[in-house]
Amino acid sequence: MSWVRVAAARLRGLFERKRLERELEDEVRFHLEMQMEDNLKAGMSPAEARYAALRSFGAVEAMKEIYRERRTVAVIETTVQDLRYAWRTLGRNPGFTATTVSVLALAIGVNTAMFAVLNAVLFRPLPYRSPEQLVMLWTEDPARNLREGRTAYWNVEQWRSQCRSFSAVAFFDSASATLTTADRAEKVSVLRASPDLFPLLGIQPLYGRVFTAEEAEQRQRVALISHRFWQSHFGGSLDAIGASIQLDGASSRIVGILPPDYLFGNEDVWEPYTMHPDWESVRRARGAGFWAVMGRLRRNVTVQQAQAEMNAIARRLDVQLPLAQRNRDIRVVPLSHHVIGPQQRRALWMLAGAIFLVFLTAAINVAGLSLARSVTRAREIAIRAALGASRTRIVRQLVAESLTLAVLAGLLGMLVAHAGIRLIVAVKPGNLARLNEVGLDLPTLGCAVAFCLLTGFLIGLTPAVTMARQDPGAAGREGGRGIAGGAATLRTRRVLVAAEFALATILLTGAGLLVRSLLSVQSVNLGFRPERVLSVSLAPPASLAPAQRAAFYTTVLKEVESIPGVESTGITSELFLSSSSTQIVIPEGDTQRVFERRQFRSDEVSTRLFNTIGTPLLRGRFFSDSDGPNSPPVAIINESMAQQMWPGRDPVGKRFKVGSVDPANPWFTVVGVVGDMRRQGLEQEPIPQMFQPIAQNPPRRAILLVRTSAADPLSIAGAVQAAVRRVDKHAPVYGVNTLENQLDVFLAERRFQTWLLIGFAVAAMLIAAIGIYGLIRYSIAMRTHEIGIRMAVGAQSGAIFRMIVGEGMKLSLTGLVLGLVGALWLGHAGSSLLFGVTPTDPLTLITVSLSLTAVGVAACCFPARRAMKVEPIVALRHE
Amino acid sequence: MKRGHTDKADVLQGTLILLILRTLAALGPMHGYGIARRIEQISRDVLQLNQGTLYPALLRMEQEGWISSRWGTSENNRKAKFYAITAAGRRQLAKETDDWRRMSSIIERFLTIDPTLAKEEA
Repeated sequence: MSWVRVAAARLRGLFERKRLERELEDEVRFHLEMQMEDNLKAGMSPAEARYAALRSFGAVEAMKEIYRERRTVAVIETTVQDLRYAWRTLGRNPGFTATTVSVLALAIGVNTAMFAVLNAVLFRPLPYRSPEQLVMLWTEDPARNLREGRTAYWNVEQWRSQCRSFSAVAFFDSASATLTTADRAEKVSVLRASPDLFPLLGIQPLYGRVFTAEEAEQRQRVALISHRFWQSHFGGSLDAIGASIQLDGASSRIVGILPPDYLFGNEDVWEPYTMHPDWESVRRARGAGFWAVMGRLRRNVTVQQAQAEMNAIARRLDVQLPLAQRNRDIRVVPLSHHVIGPQQRRALWMLAGAIFLVFLTAAINVAGLSLARSVTRAREIAIRAALGASRTRIVRQLVAESLTLAVLAGLLGMLVAHAGIRLIVAVKPGNLARLNEVGLDLPTLGCAVAFCLLTGFLIGLTPAVTMARQDPGAAGREGGRGIAGGAATLRTRRVLVAAEFALATILLTGAGLLVRSLLSVQSVNLGFRPERVLSVSLAPPASLAPAQRAAFYTTVLKEVESIPGVESTGITSELFLSSSSTQIVIPEGDTQRVFERRQFRSDEVSTRLFNTIGTPLLRGRFFSDSDGPNSPPVAIINESMAQQMWPGRDPVGKRFKVGSVDPANPWFTVVGVVGDMRRQGLEQEPIPQMFQPIAQNPPRRAILLVRTSAADPLSIAGAVQAAVRRVDKHAPVYGVNTLENQLDVFLAERRFQTWLLIGFAVAAMLIAAIGIYGLIRYSIAMRTHEIGIRMAVGAQSGAIFRMIVGEGMKLSLTGLVLGLVGALWLGHAGSSLLFGVTPTDPLTLITVSLSLTAVGVAACCFPARRAMKVEPIVALRHE
Repeated sequence: MKRGHTDKADVLQGTLILLILRTLAALGPMHGYGIARRIEQISRDVLQLNQGTLYPALLRMEQEGWISSRWGTSENNRKAKFYAITAAGRRQLAKETDDWRRMSSIIERFLTIDPTLAKEEA
């Protein structure tokens, strides 16, 4: 294979260029000298001998060129030359290079970090076996705004036996339980699951085994523990298997340890579904229920096909369901869409899009810069062209320069990306699932390389194409006159600057709309006053009977109220709601109608809860101590419920039942109406709610709310915990926080997005300002002569100023208009991310337009003022 | 490179390579100038070789592995690069010599046979 040998020799040639070049030189010199000596011997004069030697040798340099070409791989060598030259050129312009590289490094880095998040959170498959086959099966009723509804055991069993689309169907429910150890009690989260959930997900226990269907059926108290729980409670010791833990007062035996990967919501303990405290009644229930259902699609079955089958099953089951439970849909949702919901997806895409726009703005700006620079280099390029460099070679040289820039920026960008990723993981914006999986992995690195190349071409191609189109002779002449340039490049730069303004407009509009949304969310009427309120979670020991629980709460309230600095205190079974539930509510005297399920929430509260959190009483009265376990059941309802159930009438004194007209269900008498509270987060409309007195239905767990006179409610947290311990030392006290902090969590995601977008928008605006400033300065420099003449023939400096600023305004306004069109279009797509404001919000659009115009004018003013001061004589001499 | 085989310069170079190989095989290691002189002498100065073209040819032959080179001292005590034929070079020489003979005999026949006569024979 001779070509292999030749290729190898040539490749070697690449690395020994210097030595080989010297040897060639020596060899040629030796040859010529020998020839000269022979010629001298033959009797020629020295001059003649030398000339004859050269003549018989032929063109020395041409031969060397052929020799060099053959010695190595020409493409590589010229590329190396291009890069070396590019490196030197960039080194000679440290200002330009530093600016460009840092701007691009930032842009590439931030984009890479964002891609890493997108990749981990959205693109990368979930860590389960064939995750694309996994779906959630929800009971839904869109008409009544019931989404992601859970299902009763009976229904799940029916689905299982009737459906053909799934190879397996499993179900689970998460709950919390009190774990008691020798010295303390604490809350742990528990996942109650059907045993087939493990094979369905493809999860193998790290050690031990999963529980079996028999164990579940026989209600044996067995449990698996999470890797984290294993580490924290057993120090990673294998003694854990077979050990017992006390959950809600009963002993469970650990049979296995789960792997450390991401699994659902990070539950600590997994136990059989039959561990549900009211299993017998849960087993009998039909319709809505406790269970989240997961299915694995059979091979080659699509989500649509499964959905169609489940639709049919839902209709078939209707006849076997109580009237109120009929006409529900079964919604098939891919698991990946469940883990990261549509709203989070949209938010992520919005941020990614915004970052990409900033990146584009930066790249466009650098393209403008290098275009400007290439013009000042027109002379150099003209000379190179005149010396015979082909256009391709010149373009390649320019591309090599921009690639060098891009690679430098890319390397630095990697550092930025690394730091960015660490920052994002540390900040944990919006409690994204799977964020711990974010890292600089292979796809992310690939993305960074792609950004790098894209940058290189974006910033190199524009000047290269513009230059290549130019007539080198003309460039040479122009270059000779000191005003470098070509109108061609100026035109291109105008387009680039207008594009920068358009992008900045889009980003600013988005940021403006988000700011308006954030302000609306922050000023939303909560329905309660969260200032100076401490929130503590309580769980009385599971062994207590209902009456004892009620007594426990009453004593705790008394103890806490006696703490100095406590103004008032109350208990509610739950304050903030994370899931929606529906119920049937039947008003008295209307029993013939078929009742609809509606979104509904029922809670138990202590007598002074509403005073404590500052929720106003609209009608009737609050609970009192006389609303005891033996007096008739009473209820306080919220305004929404009052309006839905008794529109236009006074609900106080009315009676209603919850669930069914079953005589066993008690009638609740409405004694009061309170204002609506935003309990499902700040952005959700309140749903109908009722409250019962604690004494009549003491909850298993509760939230203790304490209004203090201290500025920082946390300062009395220790005293409150001590007070609860005095009542029962086995009752865990957890989730100690202020109400304001808890509300802040609701805002965190939106605030994070808003600040991020503001940052991007400001960055883009600055870049656009720098772009227009540079362009105007440059255009003035080009027109100094013209300005000088204009002034010499009597133009007022004001007119010159207006002319220059007008030129800049034309560009920024063009960009602004284009950007507004884009912003309206994008705003429409992203309107679900807004709150209390529409994409066409005039205030935002006007503010954005005015501020961008102001920025544009300001950026033009500085160079324009300089232009005004041009002395005609200096300008003319400038020629 | 492929394209190069069909153009004129390369045909000439092919001949040049044969001459160089033959020279080195007959006279042992020589420097570039010596090879050039020798070729001119043998051809009795009829073949006026552009001496410069020798070096790219030598480079290529060395890359092909037909010759090897090392730096040594010339007859007048100067540093010079000496080329020597390798075993592969000898095989190449035999092959090229055969090719050349075959080719020249074909050409010879073409030149001796009267083309009009050949046409009638056919």
